[in-house]
Amino acid sequence: MFELPVTTIEGPELFVLEFGDIVNYFTVYTAVLFTFALLFTILVIISRPERQVDFAFGGDAFYTKDITPGQFRFQRFMALACGMATLGAMMSGDVFNFTLFTSMVGITNIGIVAAYRNRHVLNAAFQYGIVAMIATVPLFGSAAIILATTGTLSMWALFGPAIAVPLVAKIFLVLGVMGEGMAPFYVAKAEITRAPGAPYVLMIHVSSLLLFLRVVEIVISM
Amino acid sequence: MEGIYAFGLLAVFASIVIGFWALVRENDDLHRILLTDLAEILALALIALVATDLAEALILPGLVVGISELMAISEVFLVREGLVRQPERMLQIEVMDSAPGLLALALVGYGILLSGFSGGAVAGIGVIFYFVCKGHDERFALLETLSGYAWAMWIVAFFIFMLLPQYWFFGVLIAGAAILLKVAGKMSLVGTMRGGANV
Repeated sequence: MFELPVTTIEGPELFVLEFGDIVNYFTVYTAVLFTFALLFTILVIISRPERQVDFAFGGDAFYTKDITPGQFRFQRFMALACGMATLGAMMSGDVFNFTLFTSMVGITNIGIVAAYRNRHVLNAAFQYGIVAMIATVPLFGSAAIILATTGTLSMWALFGPAIAVPLVAKIFLVLGVMGEGMAPFYVAKAEITRAPGAPYVLMIHVSSLLLFLRVVEIVISM
Repeated sequence: MEGIYAFGLLAVFASIVIGFWALVRENDDLHRILLTDLAEILALALIALVATDLAEALILPGLVVGISELMAISEVFLVREGLVRQPERMLQIEVMDSAPGLLALALVGYGILLSGFSGGAVAGIGVIFYFVCKGHDERFALLETLSGYAWAMWIVAFFIFMLLPQYWFFGVLIAGAAILLKVAGKMSLVGTMRGGANV
């Protein structure tokens, strides 16, 4: 049966789901990441958009913004899809599936950012989209180089001591995830955390953080 | 074989450097979208260099992801530049004014000849084509009525099978005609999905 070769990095395995040589699995480490992603996905499902209050400068006057849940339907859906893609990336045991989930996170992040009809925000979404799209080159490139040099994409085979993954593939994988997970920088650039609908924007940061944590695990274990 | 792979890898890396250099130099946003599409193709080339059946299977998802990202960026670009315009008519092709009657008639006729599920599909495509070309105002009531009749015919055929099994051939004919109507009606709804006022 399948045994994780090195347990010092991510702890013992908790659950293994085997499809041929592709093995989806939970270790202590990835289970924690998965739970975190699941928590925030549930949060997106149940939470209503935040209500904002604007104060008039230099006086006591304030007005509340009128925000209905229907306004953020698309953004909420995209945040949900982003959560699903993150969940997939956390438990995937195949390098190519991991890259696919990663680029799906990128696409949904574009969707979350682009939900605002504001030229400044749309500009940031556009710039991020270009970066995310260029990042698919090293991302898929790393998967292709791993497949060509080692003959397998299964992480369980790659984590073993018998197979040496070339350094350039590891660098490419990290570069690709960096490009896809760069959304928080563009969020900060467009300051959309100050725009209405805050809880759904959180998903960008959560997915990016979790992707980085997972890719570190993969690259160190390989 | 190893030498060829290394050579191909070198060629693709050189192309990636050229493509990224072009992206850095380009200032026009529309051109940058097109250049990212070109860079995307290099990722596919990297996968294709593996040159096995598995590579073939991996290219397709890679392509789909690339295209969906491209569509997302282009949509963002269009909205940002304010280039979105509600189309008055989706397609303006002259053949679509003259052909649909005859073609739909031929397809529906052939579908009735085929009968059953595949006949319903063929006839449905004929009706889809007609609705797509000619518009679909106030034809939903007709489809609903047809669908209702098909349902009733199914029930009749079912009772014939249960109560009068010796007339099974009659039952088969009724059920076949009913499923033809049902599938054709369901498929023709696809032809009306154009986001009109009453959909």
